[in-house]
Amino acid sequence: MFTLPETRFDFGGDEYIYAEISRDMREESNFKALAVTNELRKRQIPGIQDICPSNSSYIIRFDPEVISVADLLEYLKEIDITKSNPSELNMQVRIVEIPIWYDDPLTQEYSRRFQERNIAHEAKSNFELVMKLNGYAEKERFIEAHSSSPYLITMMGFIPGTAWEYPLGLTKEQIIQTPKYISPRTDTPSQAVGIGGAFTVIYPLSAPGSYQLIGMAAVPVFDQSQRLPDLKDTFFLAKPGDIWKHRPVDEAEYNRIVQQVDEGTYRYRIKYVDFSTEDYFADRKGYLKQLMEGF
Amino acid sequence: MFYILDGGLQTLVQDSGRKDYYHLGVPPSGAADRYSFCLGNILLGNPIDYAALEITLLGPKIEVRKKTVIAITGAPMDVKVNGQPIPMWESVCVQEGDVLTLRSTAKGVKTYLCVSGGIQVPDVLGSKSTYTLSQLGGFQGRKLLAGDEVIIGEPLPGVFHHVGTRIPEEYLPRFSSSIDIRMVMGISSYRLSDEGLKAFLNSEWQVGLESNNIAYRYTGATAAFQSVDPPFGAGNNASNTVDIVYPIGAIMIPNEKELILLLRDATTGGGFVTIGTTISADLDLVAQSRPHSITRFIAVTHDQAIEARMQRKRKLLSLQSLLKG
Repeated sequence: MFTLPETRFDFGGDEYIYAEISRDMREESNFKALAVTNELRKRQIPGIQDICPSNSSYIIRFDPEVISVADLLEYLKEIDITKSNPSELNMQVRIVEIPIWYDDPLTQEYSRRFQERNIAHEAKSNFELVMKLNGYAEKERFIEAHSSSPYLITMMGFIPGTAWEYPLGLTKEQIIQTPKYISPRTDTPSQAVGIGGAFTVIYPLSAPGSYQLIGMAAVPVFDQSQRLPDLKDTFFLAKPGDIWKHRPVDEAEYNRIVQQVDEGTYRYRIKYVDFSTEDYFADRKGYLKQLMEGF
Repeated sequence: MFYILDGGLQTLVQDSGRKDYYHLGVPPSGAADRYSFCLGNILLGNPIDYAALEITLLGPKIEVRKKTVIAITGAPMDVKVNGQPIPMWESVCVQEGDVLTLRSTAKGVKTYLCVSGGIQVPDVLGSKSTYTLSQLGGFQGRKLLAGDEVIIGEPLPGVFHHVGTRIPEEYLPRFSSSIDIRMVMGISSYRLSDEGLKAFLNSEWQVGLESNNIAYRYTGATAAFQSVDPPFGAGNNASNTVDIVYPIGAIMIPNEKELILLLRDATTGGGFVTIGTTISADLDLVAQSRPHSITRFIAVTHDQAIEARMQRKRKLLSLQSLLKG
């Protein structure tokens, strides 16, 4: 059994309500954010314009000319309390495989280019910096640590298609963590893999950014061209609640996959599963092992 | 059709923006100065959200290939038709073959070229607005370039009878190099020290050169953080929080010497300490403030934010009925 923290509500200008479930990152907080926002979306309330779950919080954008903020706040608090029951948090999710070329030359080059905006100026690359900060001496051990756990998509945002990934089944001590840049980079390569705090993201396109860059994903996470069969009906690979699995690939395989993507023949490895938060919290390691079987 | 002879610095197709995709990281985009944009459409009798061209600092040169009526609003600019000056804030008839030239702005940043029947580009995710960072919407997801052919709508019935209509002086926005921006404190403002909060509110902040439709950057004072450990998962720098979805208008503090204010092309989420959110009525003022200009941040209550919103709405409605009557 587990308990869910109590939410603190705050205003963002005249159009937003910010709901902070917890200040720190907890899996429970994210499951609650997903449950509350899924429920709210189902109800289709006039005046509510955007419903965005985030890592340990959620925000609602509303039209204050349609719906009174006092009424909306009361209404949200009610849903927030009902969705604090753990059995309410079960959902169907997808497991998606993401091939990554770690410590590649392009992210090394960007590390050098924006070094003066970073937290430390002496490291050779962001990859090396993150490795050292987390006590890894060998590159292979670090890659193994970053790619062995499945990651939960806890939030989307930043630029279209960006998904925050949080590792499941680990203790706080086992989770790779790093500070963000002190001043954001003005550019990041498209499909670069970055770490900030306890989260991993894949940059959907070139964009500014403040996460430490550790490699390149071989597959797109946002695509308007509709050339890939798995992205025919949507521009976005991720959905909040998805589970992503990183698979390290070498330069040759990276290039092969990139070519398949260009030709429009690449198929993502995807598996659909029912995720029970209660079973997960009862035995996290065992449950994940069962979930990831054959993947 | 508008045939583009020179695109200027950055000329984009914009309407009133995108809805419904914010949870997937898609910002609203749309006209940066909504008020000036709406005034152009009101002048022409267009629906208030019809797509127009948004011009940044240096204007384009355009050959008009269909007789229609236009209105130019926003940041003051020298505008000429075939070399002859024409007024802004007024509906003007242009003929097939006319060459329209817009020069640089001395005040403000964004100028709008509205046209009867609107600019016609396909809707992408429910809007004609350009979001350049993801090459989404607008004219092929990018700024206009020489040789582009931009389709304009059919001139609306009766529009030629109202050529010469002007926006009355009292409705015109002012463009100043020193502005006050109202904001609602909150979100993770508790991470600033008392001195940091005071410095944020009592200092003059200068608009940085890297400012654009995504975000404005400011320097000029020191907004000091509390000396507490950031929460688990945030990253252990004093400015780090667990990443959130940011409201449009969010003011974050990536380091004590710099503020970042998110505009309508915002990166919609991230993990920097956020001191609060700009009220919707003042986002236009931010977008019209030029690099090196001065900004002061004024904390207001949520009720005051709503009142400012309604005041602005009443102004637009009264202008609309005034010009119709």
